[in-house]
Amino acid sequence: MNNAENKIFLSPENVKLYEEISKKKEISIEELLEVTKLNRGKLEYHLSFLVSEKLVERNDILTKKLKLTKTGLDAVKNGLIERRIIKILKEKSSVSFPGLSKLIQSDKKELNAGIGLLKKQNILKIENGQISLIDENIDFNIDLQSVLEGIKTSQIDDAGISTETIVKRNLGVLEDKKDTILKTIVDYSKIKDRIEKTIEVSRLTPEMIRDGSWKTIRLKEYNLKVSPPHFFVGRKQPYAQFLDDVKRKLVALGFQEMRGPIVELEFWNFDALFQAQDHPAREWSDVYRVSNPQKGSLPQEEYVELVQKVHENGYDTGSKGWRYKWDPKKSARMVLRAQGTSVSARTLVNLAVPSKYFSISRCYRPDTVDVTHLSEFNQVEGIVADPSITFRDLLGILDTFAKDVAGVKEYTFKPDYYPFTEPSVELSTVDPNLGRIEFGGAGIFRPEVTRPFGIEVPVIAWGLGIDRLFMVKHEITDIRELFSHKLDWLREEKMI
Amino acid sequence: MVTIKASYNNMKELIGEDVTVAELDELLSFAKSEIDDYVREEDMLEINVKTSNRPDLWCPEGLVREIKGILGKEKAIPSLSIKTSGYKVKVDPKLASSRPYIACAVAKNLHLSDYIIKQFMQLSDKIDYSYGRKRKKASIGLYNLSMIKSPIDYKVIEKTHHFVPLGYDKEMNLEEILEHHEKGLEYGYIVREYGHYPILLSSDGVTLSLPPIINSNTVGRITEETKECLIEVTGTNFETVNVELNILCQTLADRGAEIFSVEIVYPQEIHKENVITPELTKQEIIVDLEIINKYLGTEITPSTAIKILEKRRFEGKSLDTSKINVIIPPYRLDILHWVDIAEEIVIGLDYNKVGATKWHVLTTGGLSQETEDENKVRDILIGTGAVEILTNTLTDSTILTDKVNLDDDSFVKIGNAVSKSYSVIRNQIYPNLISVLSKNTHESYPQIIFEVGEVVKIDNEKPYTQTNLAYLYADAEASFEDAHKLLHRLMSLLNVEYIIESKEHPSFISGRCGIILVEGEKCGVIGEIHPNVLEKNLIWVPVVGLELELFLLPSLSCERKFTF
Repeated sequence: MNNAENKIFLSPENVKLYEEISKKKEISIEELLEVTKLNRGKLEYHLSFLVSEKLVERNDILTKKLKLTKTGLDAVKNGLIERRIIKILKEKSSVSFPGLSKLIQSDKKELNAGIGLLKKQNILKIENGQISLIDENIDFNIDLQSVLEGIKTSQIDDAGISTETIVKRNLGVLEDKKDTILKTIVDYSKIKDRIEKTIEVSRLTPEMIRDGSWKTIRLKEYNLKVSPPHFFVGRKQPYAQFLDDVKRKLVALGFQEMRGPIVELEFWNFDALFQAQDHPAREWSDVYRVSNPQKGSLPQEEYVELVQKVHENGYDTGSKGWRYKWDPKKSARMVLRAQGTSVSARTLVNLAVPSKYFSISRCYRPDTVDVTHLSEFNQVEGIVADPSITFRDLLGILDTFAKDVAGVKEYTFKPDYYPFTEPSVELSTVDPNLGRIEFGGAGIFRPEVTRPFGIEVPVIAWGLGIDRLFMVKHEITDIRELFSHKLDWLREEKMI
Repeated sequence: MVTIKASYNNMKELIGEDVTVAELDELLSFAKSEIDDYVREEDMLEINVKTSNRPDLWCPEGLVREIKGILGKEKAIPSLSIKTSGYKVKVDPKLASSRPYIACAVAKNLHLSDYIIKQFMQLSDKIDYSYGRKRKKASIGLYNLSMIKSPIDYKVIEKTHHFVPLGYDKEMNLEEILEHHEKGLEYGYIVREYGHYPILLSSDGVTLSLPPIINSNTVGRITEETKECLIEVTGTNFETVNVELNILCQTLADRGAEIFSVEIVYPQEIHKENVITPELTKQEIIVDLEIINKYLGTEITPSTAIKILEKRRFEGKSLDTSKINVIIPPYRLDILHWVDIAEEIVIGLDYNKVGATKWHVLTTGGLSQETEDENKVRDILIGTGAVEILTNTLTDSTILTDKVNLDDDSFVKIGNAVSKSYSVIRNQIYPNLISVLSKNTHESYPQIIFEVGEVVKIDNEKPYTQTNLAYLYADAEASFEDAHKLLHRLMSLLNVEYIIESKEHPSFISGRCGIILVEGEKCGVIGEIHPNVLEKNLIWVPVVGLELELFLLPSLSCERKFTF
């Protein structure tokens, strides 16, 4: 263990770098780049490891450095303007201003500045429009010229006293420069023996695990702060998930699921539920009629006859009935299931007592589809049959649904109307944002509904409107989103 | 549900108490009604009356009648004293086959304001439309009494008979009214079915109306100046025309009018005897309170029950310790059975005060085996990383045909579709999923989606509902293998042996698709979607997929649910 602690694991690149830094008292990063032939990125990477291991110290020094401007670079190439003027005047002894301008081919402003400078230094004179040198043997600003050349070739870092002139004459500008100076904290030679060379790799391979080479390699560190790539998981549709949750709760309350067909006979959708054949709710504007296939047929069962009797004269229920001639042809027409109660109606055949049933079924209404209307939606419906059950029990069932299924604490009962139940109740709650939401209804099936199926006990029929509750929970304002085609929502909508 | 408009201030006035809008809403709930909206500037309430068999509640007067009972301001059946008007209506025996019944009354001492006229028109329109089944079963007419002489003839007349219909300034014959008048165009079919024209004539030959189409422009016009009017209801059902008249008379009486009766002289072919209308004989029903208490879970005494019934505008007489003879107001026809009286009692007790029980009906709950098995399939699909989709079962026929290269349109079609987008019921699901992919081409790939849902198919003219699975895999790298390996694992986990038989299918690429066979029966398709289908749906990556009919997998309990 002690031994291992004393060992220092370094990659070959790290060792090489360490050695180079150790060679000098201190070394700049540029120099290091030069000698190691590494690119800047790799160098920084390896260096950061030596620094973090406290083997090397890194100091960043900020300095000002002269950089030649275009004028400065020009002056290096062609000579400073004043030196060029002197050169011409030496050759021509005297020249007119336009003549000089032509020979120099520099811009007028610069030329004027050159002439001005030389005149000020008493190097030239202007007489009768002719320019000439005062001293033919003069040589001027040779130092400045060589300083500029030195800066260009990087032989000079510091222009010294010339700096001010250079900046003033716009031959160069001062720029910030960051120098990084490196020096060892622990000298390489002192710990050389403790250094173990390791190989740095980015990926652990099965071979490395098997042949033990993982012991001598070093796995590159990851940057854990970067965002991961997109990743989508398989998941339930959020609304389907919600319906599954409702089913689970109802099953927990002892309800058994029923299923029924989408295309329904009017018999099950209306007649068995004691809705008179000329009832406005049976109008084409309230229910989708099937045009293909054209006609259905009624079950060959006694209960059909009894349903007819109940409509015509109340049968033996004590009811007056609807007092009209019941038409089996109307009853055999096909519609799209307009209410989930049709599934309950089918369950009335050979109904077990006691029993509790539910269904979540797709129902259809010919509404124009918009933000608040769908032409198909889900209804949660069911029945409870038991000899002992009363209207107050029905209120108790709704209380359970409100609290345990819908998760609503405060609710109100109101009288309601359904053609097939009496008494009928509406269940509503007040949402702080949306106001009153009706989310349930129930009633005791009229004897005109149950008697044709030979049922002697009270049967409670109930329904829950849960779409609104789902929409509130998921902050959905457009009801069409229940059947959303938007993949981003389907992939990313929160589950909680 | 029927929606009516009523002035809030006028309702307060009728109630005789300064109730707030919220309090009024609370009171209305006892009449199965609620305030949907209140436009303060116009002082107009929009009230939803939820019951479709209580036309007496489709006006503020009727609603206030109930509210006054609840508040204890009035009780029992409102009294309505009737005097004789001396008017007679003679009914033509020829009407026996068409529109035989009529009920009439005279109302005098009217104080009609513009608002009251509008209210009355609203009531008669709502009754005509809903309770009168768009005037087919019954329709209402109001006339200026001063222009009518008794006896009135309700008879069949030739089509050349002419008068000036309401809203016109020139005479038209009956045929012309049916052809050109807006009401004739709307309701003319009712009269055409009769094969003759019913007419109401004053004894001096002046036309009152062509029921159920249109009134005369002179006699049949009610204004604020009208002090006396004749009310008439014609129809095909004796009870309906009479109860409608009773509702109208009670409503006018609530506004202070005096009501006078009219004698209807029926021929033997229609009704055995003449009838004096309004026919206010009160219907009765004997109920057993013991049974009602058991039904409701309550313990109320006969005297309490009678008090509650009076609050609900009924009357009751105790017959013995349990039985009560309940007398029904003549404007109500909705009491068919003692359960209707039970409801009146429990509404009178107040649903929110009667007390919910801690009910218990001990049964074992469970999902249907079918749902359980569908859930297994969903779970497997989700485990593969597929995203579940829920699409509409109502769809556009082109999505099921042209968009997937099919021409078989043997699916269920809707006769009264509101929009083409929802005009047929899907018979398979993958076309819907293709449509989903086409709307998500801006989202990242791979797009792996599935739906387990119901479809409707037709077998020998019999529709049935069944559950299918559709799965699509869309990606630049997608190939047949992506669908194949899924099918293979799914079938293996569901313990089903299958084979794929190569077969052409217009939605898929030739040689890269086949039918899935289980026990020799075709139960699905699998393949690579045809580029032509992709192009039509503007999808620019390869898509592979499959569709399976779950009821054909022997290890699952999924089944076909036949409509009949």
